[in-house]
Amino acid sequence: MANILEVKDLCKTYVIEKRQNNVLKNVNFSVEEGDMVAIMGPSGSGKSTLLYAVSGMDVPTSGTVNFDGNNLMKMKPNELSDVRLDKMGFIFQQMYMMKNLTILDNIVLPAVESKKSKENKADKVKRAEELMRKLSIIDVADNDINEVSGGQLQRACICRSMINNPKILFADEPTGALNRTSSMEVMEELVKLNDEGTTIMMVTHDAKVAARCKRVLYIVDGNIKGEYVSPQDANLSQADKERKLNTWLMDLGW
Amino acid sequence: MYFNILKRDLKRKKTMNVILLLFTMLASMFVSSGINNVVTVMNGTDYYLDKAGVGDFVVITQNGDGGVEDIIEDSSNVTSYKMEDAYWGSIDNIEVDDEQLDLKSNTIVFQELSDNGITLYQTDNEELTEVKPGEVYVTAGVLKRNELEVGDELELDYYGVENTFTIAGEIKDALLGSDMMGNTRFIFSHEDYEEFEKEELKPMSGCMYNIKSDHIAELQGEIAKGENILFSGSRSMIKMSYVMEMIVAMIVLVLSACLCIVSFVLLKFVITFTINEEFREIGVMKAIGIHNFKIRSIYLTKYFVMSVVGGVIGLFMGIPFGNMLIASVSEKMVLSNDYGIYLNVVGALIVVFVMTGFAYLCTGKVKKSTPVDAIRNGATGERYGKKGKYSLKKTHFSNAFYMAVNDVVSAPRRFMTIIFSFFICSVFVFGLVEVTDTMLSDRLITTFGKKSDAYITSSKLLRMDMISEEGNEDVKTMLSDVEEDLKELGMPGKTNFEVWYKYNVTFDGRTTSICCQQNKYTDTTDYDYIEGSAPQNDKEIAITKQIAEDIGARIGDTVTIDFGSEKKECMVVAYFQTMNQLGSVIRLHQDAPTNMIYANAMMSIQIEFDDEPNAKVIDDRIEELRDFYDTEDVYNAAGFCNDCMKVAGTMQSVQYLLLAITCIVVILVTILMERSFISDETSQIALLKAIGFKDRFIIRWQVYRFLLVAVITEILAVIFTYPITKLWCDPIWSMMGASDVKYYFNPLSLCLVYPGIILLINLITVWLTAGVTKKITCNDVGNVE
Repeated sequence: MANILEVKDLCKTYVIEKRQNNVLKNVNFSVEEGDMVAIMGPSGSGKSTLLYAVSGMDVPTSGTVNFDGNNLMKMKPNELSDVRLDKMGFIFQQMYMMKNLTILDNIVLPAVESKKSKENKADKVKRAEELMRKLSIIDVADNDINEVSGGQLQRACICRSMINNPKILFADEPTGALNRTSSMEVMEELVKLNDEGTTIMMVTHDAKVAARCKRVLYIVDGNIKGEYVSPQDANLSQADKERKLNTWLMDLGW
Repeated sequence: MYFNILKRDLKRKKTMNVILLLFTMLASMFVSSGINNVVTVMNGTDYYLDKAGVGDFVVITQNGDGGVEDIIEDSSNVTSYKMEDAYWGSIDNIEVDDEQLDLKSNTIVFQELSDNGITLYQTDNEELTEVKPGEVYVTAGVLKRNELEVGDELELDYYGVENTFTIAGEIKDALLGSDMMGNTRFIFSHEDYEEFEKEELKPMSGCMYNIKSDHIAELQGEIAKGENILFSGSRSMIKMSYVMEMIVAMIVLVLSACLCIVSFVLLKFVITFTINEEFREIGVMKAIGIHNFKIRSIYLTKYFVMSVVGGVIGLFMGIPFGNMLIASVSEKMVLSNDYGIYLNVVGALIVVFVMTGFAYLCTGKVKKSTPVDAIRNGATGERYGKKGKYSLKKTHFSNAFYMAVNDVVSAPRRFMTIIFSFFICSVFVFGLVEVTDTMLSDRLITTFGKKSDAYITSSKLLRMDMISEEGNEDVKTMLSDVEEDLKELGMPGKTNFEVWYKYNVTFDGRTTSICCQQNKYTDTTDYDYIEGSAPQNDKEIAITKQIAEDIGARIGDTVTIDFGSEKKECMVVAYFQTMNQLGSVIRLHQDAPTNMIYANAMMSIQIEFDDEPNAKVIDDRIEELRDFYDTEDVYNAAGFCNDCMKVAGTMQSVQYLLLAITCIVVILVTILMERSFISDETSQIALLKAIGFKDRFIIRWQVYRFLLVAVITEILAVIFTYPITKLWCDPIWSMMGASDVKYYFNPLSLCLVYPGIILLINLITVWLTAGVTKKITCNDVGNVE
């Protein structure tokens, strides 16, 4: 599989009152198409900063981020916006949505804005409804965002992130604000999407969630301290996978 | 610790705090100057007339005193009186660089500075105490009207008195200086004035009496018996002659009130908005056990300090601002009040109290809510409200426009502050535009006379010497000469001529001297009446509602008019409206036995062309007539109205000033509201950016939304302009004698130009302000500030 994302010598430094704070220090990794990567690490280790830097939402201090063959750091703001709109999808820990729009309108909005496909608006709406049906939230399509549960809202966010058929999905603790049942439902959907070919990169604190990914990058103080590849043994149960990952994490000081 | 919380709050929410401070300053500026102006304007004329020493009753005579002094001396109704001499001249007697002066009326009063007269003031409101030989002071407005300056020279040629005088300055004249009175006073030194005191100038001399009396009605009856009276009227009539100036003053007053309302609405919005934003912190403080009183006192201290700082700055800004607003009125009047700057201080204090009161009310929620409520309210403010349903799938608009429309439809209350502020300002500007357009049109012509194609008011034709025994013949000759001229110029037409007489009218045993108008050269049926039918013979008259009120006569009553040569019983057969003489006029039949010797004024030579030309041709002919008679005083109907009122120019200046103030308010409100929206929507904007929306989309969304609200407001303002203008302006017209004014709605002004200017200003401001969203980054998606 070809690499969809290549990160080389990525650094991010914040200057707070003349004092430099190196959040990311020469980070190197790559993500193949169809991969599902979890980024773990203690609080303040730079997980979210890394996610935002590689997704073009934040500007790194140095290094390169090649996405789909293009260096994001050389792109102009508008080009970066186009990449995020057409080729990337985002899911956040808090289910951020436009307050005055219904669930369906929130999902359709990026599709209508995108010039990627030649579909008309009706087709885009139809596609949004299909996605909602797939994620079992079609019943709340016309609801306001305050009329649905957290799990439904996060699934709506997944629909929105998928509406333009992105090449990669970035998720920042997508289950962080959900209860156990909702978390599992959302992870099921993400795994399904990955199985269908969508590349996913997510930040998580939850080993149970990370165990559903194919790879785990462990980051400490802005450096990748280790990489875990989930065993592809079909006979291995999910519980076994979680146990193995936990053992690896414990070795790294988790 | 609490001080630290406050310090951090001021630092962190810099933009909102700066905006709040700015609006406190503006509110203080508007309210302090507004209150001062309101009091000044309300007491304006009384203050001015008192200060200048205008009496309870004023009589002005020509050609000697006409026995008036004897009447005053003998009257038991006179407490005391002052009498000053004057010589009556005309614009023919004064030249500057061999050219005649352009004055509001043809008459000029020549006087010296007298202790027996009213007090005259210089333009800096200082009393005029001395006029040096060779110098002259002229009524305020003359210099500007004639593009003259202090130091320029005037040449006087007054029946043998010839001299050159240097203009030393302008004077504010409480008695004759109003636009309605329109007489120009020239004040010479005692030495120069002595030159006038020649035997042959006696017929040109006159007297001005300032009488103190507690029985005006009785005195009026007695004075009516005097002769050669040019003017006699009570102080209230003099006061009414300032109605034009007071229109402008009233506009300033209403404007000040509007600005006060807008300021308080905005303050309420900003305080509510900022305190709502602070509910998160408030909730946290409650959660850790800080008492309600302590929490409230933190915010109350903040808003109190801010209101005091803003109030004080606004107070000082309000002084020049108030002076600027009232400048157009105080050019001719000494306007002030007895309270001075204290009123401004009261205004600023009101702002401080109101703002602290708003803050107190808004923080009141802290007391009622639990920590959890406080946190949830603060964080989710709007989330619990049901939103309107306006689906993206059904719309044909672009994404940005759809979002703008959806925002407005979903939460219209959010935009009420904008709608209210813009509406108040716009409806007032539009009203003023409508009034000015009406004044500049010919809609008011029937309140000044008969509608004709052209009007000549030049003193070259309307000679003062026609006010004589043979005057009627002179007028006939003059009119036939004009008709000959018209024929020669290839624009044949008929002429008519309206003259005002001063006759004693007796009704119910009371005699009053009243201005009677007559046009001998047309039929009374050619005029408009609001009730009854036109006088059909010389025993019928029409009166105004004002006269009906003054003398008590109604349609069907018979009054006695003393025409000098004979007394006639005349029946009132109709009411009409006129703005001449502030509505105190009787219309005589064309055959009534008038004599030019009793003429008080000649209005104009009215021309009606035989070929009924269109407006363009009339205007061309007017230009031709101006060249032919070498005068600018030839007008069409609209121009004649403007010449009669002489206030349209001032109204236009006030209108532009008001438009400028409205634009400033629009700019400030737009910046404030847009910054508030952006602050409120930071996380949503960041979300849009994170999922790939460009800056220009976000700016478009913000601009469309604001523009949509502004367009709705402007449409509402245009719709409501007519009824609201009628509401505030009809009483003013009615004071001037016009009870039924048909306003001129100029679609170009009211549907395009003025709303267009406001919308354009709004568009530019919101566009520039929305540029701030460029600074919001994807990382702000989690920003709940």
